[in-house]
Amino acid sequence: MNNNSKAARIAIYAGLILWLLINLFPVYWMFTFSLKNNAEIFGQNVVGLPQHWLWSNYTSALKTGKMGIYFLNSVIVAFSTILITLVAAVMATYALSRLIWKRRKAMNKFFMLGLTIPIHASIVPVYVTLSRMHMLNTYWALIIPYAAFSLSMAILVCTGFMNEIPFDLDEAACIDGCSVWGIFLRIIVPLMRPAVATVGIYTFLQCWNELMFANIFISKTALKTLPVGVQALSGQYTTEWGPIGAALVLATFPTLLVYVFLSKRIQESFIAGAIKG
Amino acid sequence: MNRMYGNKLHILIFLLPALLLFCGILIAPIGASFYYSLFEWNGMSADKTFVGLANYKEVFTSIDIGFMKALRNSLLLALLSVFLQLPLALLLALTLGKKVKGERVFLSVYFMPVLISTVVIGQLWLKIYNPEYGILNVFLRAIGLEKWTRIWLGTKETALGAVFVPTLWQYVGYHMLLLYAGVKSVPGELREAAMLDGATDGQVNRFIVLPYIKPIIRISVIFAVTGSLKSFDMIYVLTNGGPLRSTQVPSTLMIEMLFLRNRYGMGSTIAVLLIVLCFLFALIISALFKQED
Amino acid sequence: MKKITAIALALVIALGMFAGCSGNKKESEEKTITLWCIATESDANHKAYEQAIDEYQKAHPGVKIEWEAFENQSYKTKIKAAMSDPDTLPDIFFTWAGAFLGDFAAAEAAYCLDDAYKAHKDALPEKMLANSTYNGKHYGVPLTYNFVGMFANMDLLAQAGWDHVPETYEDLTACCDALLAKGIIPFGCAGKETWCVTEYLEPIILKTIGYQDLNEVFAGRATWNNEGIASSVATLQDMIDKGYFDPNGTALSNDEVKANFLAGKTAFYQNGTWNCGEVNDADFNAQLCLFPVMDSAKATYGQLIGGPSDTLAVSSHSKQKELAAEVAFELGKSICHYAYLIGSGLPAWTPDYDVSAVKPMVIAAGDMAVKSDGMVLFGDTAMSADPANTYLSYVDKVYGKEIDGAGFIAGLAKDLQ
Repeated sequence: MNNNSKAARIAIYAGLILWLLINLFPVYWMFTFSLKNNAEIFGQNVVGLPQHWLWSNYTSALKTGKMGIYFLNSVIVAFSTILITLVAAVMATYALSRLIWKRRKAMNKFFMLGLTIPIHASIVPVYVTLSRMHMLNTYWALIIPYAAFSLSMAILVCTGFMNEIPFDLDEAACIDGCSVWGIFLRIIVPLMRPAVATVGIYTFLQCWNELMFANIFISKTALKTLPVGVQALSGQYTTEWGPIGAALVLATFPTLLVYVFLSKRIQESFIAGAIKG
Repeated sequence: MNRMYGNKLHILIFLLPALLLFCGILIAPIGASFYYSLFEWNGMSADKTFVGLANYKEVFTSIDIGFMKALRNSLLLALLSVFLQLPLALLLALTLGKKVKGERVFLSVYFMPVLISTVVIGQLWLKIYNPEYGILNVFLRAIGLEKWTRIWLGTKETALGAVFVPTLWQYVGYHMLLLYAGVKSVPGELREAAMLDGATDGQVNRFIVLPYIKPIIRISVIFAVTGSLKSFDMIYVLTNGGPLRSTQVPSTLMIEMLFLRNRYGMGSTIAVLLIVLCFLFALIISALFKQED
Repeated sequence: MKKITAIALALVIALGMFAGCSGNKKESEEKTITLWCIATESDANHKAYEQAIDEYQKAHPGVKIEWEAFENQSYKTKIKAAMSDPDTLPDIFFTWAGAFLGDFAAAEAAYCLDDAYKAHKDALPEKMLANSTYNGKHYGVPLTYNFVGMFANMDLLAQAGWDHVPETYEDLTACCDALLAKGIIPFGCAGKETWCVTEYLEPIILKTIGYQDLNEVFAGRATWNNEGIASSVATLQDMIDKGYFDPNGTALSNDEVKANFLAGKTAFYQNGTWNCGEVNDADFNAQLCLFPVMDSAKATYGQLIGGPSDTLAVSSHSKQKELAAEVAFELGKSICHYAYLIGSGLPAWTPDYDVSAVKPMVIAAGDMAVKSDGMVLFGDTAMSADPANTYLSYVDKVYGKEIDGAGFIAGLAKDLQ
């Protein structure tokens, strides 16, 4: 290996490591300042590990900030949304890619419109719709819109996976006397398992992040989700950074922890989604 | 088989849940928004005045509303996204795609910010940018670049850039992973054949890998552009459109019209335009990529 | 059989999503009144609400008050969104008097409180209802009233050689120059929240053109094209140019700016008298004063920007309007009581309790209000939503130095009249 390529390799690694640090440092900083008091954050010890580990910041975030409840709400909303999105998407995909009818291509395009529609653009009409259905101030007020907005991506991903299931299987099952529902539930649904993870992750990201709907459709503290909670808490502790840091960590680390253990699976399903989509 | 699969009732039942959700929550509200965009209405009183397309005319001409400025800002975000964020993501993907040591670690860490809620990232960067105590200015002071310190989010010259950086930071990993998957799917034989012909790394990337992953680049570009047009959460948390509207984008403007100025018709107009624009850009980008083929 | 089960399953899934979620309408003896407000835990009024609500529930075991507090900005969004289906409004909601409540009254979403007011006439002077009265009908229960004051850190002033607050503009500039010479920043102002800039600009305009003229301008009866307003803008921009304002303020929220003042980082803080309690309790010697007179031919020192603005209103879509109205008055009185004691506002209701514990700075503020030569309601409260936001965007441009005085009056004259 000549010097030139060695230097190139070093440059490549330096670049990769630099970007690695740029990704890690804000998270590291967030974690350390969540355990400090203002005196440390504001001067004495800006980037080091905390001198006095101030766990009381976490007590504030959990008690006053109610981060525990918000986290639980976010989890409930996210998983219900994923479930509903999956059911609706797999059923629709079956109709769109297996069943035979004239306008299914057009219908598929119609569903794909949803990929570009911004979620905020329909906030007031959606509010009125939800209110008419008496869903405001329930988990449904978030689950239904989130599921609707995740649907297009889910159908796109599911179509990719379903097209890989050989049509022979359907035919064989049909000859064995299976009904449409039999084929769907016994052949298709079990083979769609890999799509679950992919759709799940896309949907999860969508509902885990959303702020505006959550802010307007939910008024009861007991039902608020993490983004709203984080935003409210930082409004309350504008000048005391420790508890805000603690709330940010509480909102982030559980997902990151899951990611550490499942990173490969998560990335794989993500990649599968992109390629299939 | 065909008769069974052609049964209209079955088709309807299978489509029903998705159709209900999709039409009830996405399509019908757009119709409602379009309807309201034809009125001058404060969203409260019983009487609304039909004004036809007057709101559309006003939104494009009124400097006070500043829609064109908001649109320009979000298009600027889109440009930066396509020409800064995507190349960076592509560079990372290409580098990681050719068997680097610690590939998995790099990949996992680069993707990590995607999993953090935008509000959390926004709040975190709010602290990073704090003029007095934020680590950005603290760092600049520490390395003797006192004169480079800025009131990042409070100066109209720097605010838009300062809003863009966390967005870039958050989604580079997303695009990188998509592109990385593409790079990895390039058949080994193609690569080896080119190498045997004496192609350099750069040439392999240029003539083998890039053409191969073009469909993924197209998806990335569409996501980056429509994502920029839709951007809301990060800006809402960091600046809410200020200072002096220098970071105003169509969605923050829409919220201002709907809820602060009681101009329901105008807010709906912006909503409709936002949808049309996102759709239009997706079409244009697809067409551009097709044309190249 | 399987087919039927499967179809049933699909239908249940489809319908269940939409039907299985109606709210539980439990009939019980206890009546529940819902209340939305902006008294979040960091808000000075939070304790006042908490105590008032606690007390009310103890005295009325049959009534339960469910209250939710939202951060100011998201509250405005929420309450307006609720108006798109007025049935989703809470029974009682916090509102600003003036145009904000006026929109609700005009849309018949606020319930007329004339009947309920009769029982409280003695405790609540009618003039306190002036800003929440439309077409001769009362729509709001005022809690407190406030005006814009200039809080001074006398310890910092002493360091710059001043033992009293500046009483003329020449004094003020001399004092600020002396402070700057000592390395002390005179003022802090939150550029992130434009209403904070108006707390600086409006008193200057007031002290230049006088309260009668300013009132006419805010009410839209006189033109913005007024040389006095242009020169006021020039005065503010001159102060900014001289470095009297903390430049970091442009990126900060009001809470952060206030914290800087309370931590002794700026010498002055000009904001509402709802801060009196907190400033009074700061660990430095603090004093409340007013922005000096700019044109003594038109204005006097005692003129104030302010008035009763914090208000409770009752939704006309409430299923229990009479009860809600009664609760609103009882709570209003009680919140006013505790807010006065905390120092987060001056009492709109005549105190009928021991006031010996009221903080000195609050008493001083009350004196100023009583002796006031004339009050003008905050500009963005006086104007209705669209013009108010146009006005705010112009104030923003003044603070960001995008326009000068001439541009300010010309622009507003064009856009608002």
